[in-house]
Amino acid sequence: MKYFRPQSLQELFELEKSLADNPHTILAGGTDLLPRFERGVPLPDILIDIKDVSELNAIKVSDDRVEIGALTSIQDIQDHELIRLEFNALHMAATDFAGTQIRHRGTLGGNVCNASPAGDLLPALYAFEAEALLGDAKGKTSKPISSFIIGPGKTALGSSQLVLGVTLKRNGLASHFDKVGLRQSMAISVVNAAFVYQIADRRFTHLKITAGSVAPTIVSLDAFTSAYLQDQTSVDEKIDLIDENISPIDDIRATATYRRRVLKNLVKHFLSQVQVRP
Amino acid sequence: MLHHPKPTTFALKVRVNGKTIQQEVVTHLRLLDFLRNDLGLTGTKEVCGEGECGACTIIMDGKTVNSCLILAVEAHGRDITTIEGLVDTSELTKLQKAFEDHHSVQCGYCIPGMVLTGEKLLERKPHPTRDEINYELSGNICRCTGYHKIVDAIEHAEDEPYFGGDDA
Repeated sequence: MKYFRPQSLQELFELEKSLADNPHTILAGGTDLLPRFERGVPLPDILIDIKDVSELNAIKVSDDRVEIGALTSIQDIQDHELIRLEFNALHMAATDFAGTQIRHRGTLGGNVCNASPAGDLLPALYAFEAEALLGDAKGKTSKPISSFIIGPGKTALGSSQLVLGVTLKRNGLASHFDKVGLRQSMAISVVNAAFVYQIADRRFTHLKITAGSVAPTIVSLDAFTSAYLQDQTSVDEKIDLIDENISPIDDIRATATYRRRVLKNLVKHFLSQVQVRP
Repeated sequence: MLHHPKPTTFALKVRVNGKTIQQEVVTHLRLLDFLRNDLGLTGTKEVCGEGECGACTIIMDGKTVNSCLILAVEAHGRDITTIEGLVDTSELTKLQKAFEDHHSVQCGYCIPGMVLTGEKLLERKPHPTRDEINYELSGNICRCTGYHKIVDAIEHAEDEPYFGGDDA
């Protein structure tokens, strides 16, 4: 296995060009890649470690948006003051993410590219309608996160493309994240959910709920939220509309039935808590 | 231990416990195996081998990381501290002394990782709450102690010695 560690984006793109059609694997934090190798997935012939590409390791704040570089660690997301204040669901997801050692290594770009149905940062990124920034030697482009991730472990990333980061619009919405795992830390979520909302006079004027581990990709619970936004008097008679957007399965962590129940409970819990606040 | 049908080597240069090490390594060697087998630093333990348990915790460029999830080549140019390098004498740190005083060790296998994680927490926060300690230790698993005495040691590491110390 040949090991490369380019020092800049330009060096990385030149390297990829020189490798032409030789298949290669990109290594960022390695917290998902290394266990895969341990489980017997063959090591690649060419490994490109992008950790020194410092252009990708920054959180850039402008007036209307925040750009989080792909190499930003989960810990750096957790520690970032503006993310905590304006994108609290993302801060909460980073806080609940694995354990300290993994937060130090795991990256935003890795969580996005691994496209796990249970990826803990993903519901928040979907709920904030984040854009994935993609780049190759020719230039940059962007794609809504919900169309970038197309299935479990599958993305729309082109063969010579790299995820450069994500951008979030600073639109002043409130947010929240919740998850249920088999243990508080270091546990892959049984269900996770992000809530992005705005309340005026104790009524929701905006509500987007996204959930993970209940479908092949993160889903937005639009059937429920659109009905609820119209009539906010009763949750119970609408809660089963959540079933229209999810398709959970039985696996080693939980049954589909349990996942449905837990997600509905997380939503009911969120609504009951948030509306009583002044 | 990882295997590759076509091994390639790499000229690794890394600082470990204050010493610069230069060595040719195969690229698929894990950092954990390099530390234990090549450098003989067996204080770093392997239990799960997949980043769940924290027994292989080391400090790299000032941060606790799982050395089972890192290739040795990724440590090229980095600065590493293992449990052996925590102090350069045979003295114990305040936290190591507290682990002794609070009887925090049973089989001991998780302890190097617990101590390094605890040291980094205390560096940032000399008097952490029990909740903060629990949160910080969530990536370190102990199968013997039930954690209480480990948390006690970290909580009281900066206090006066438990049994009065030298003045008792």
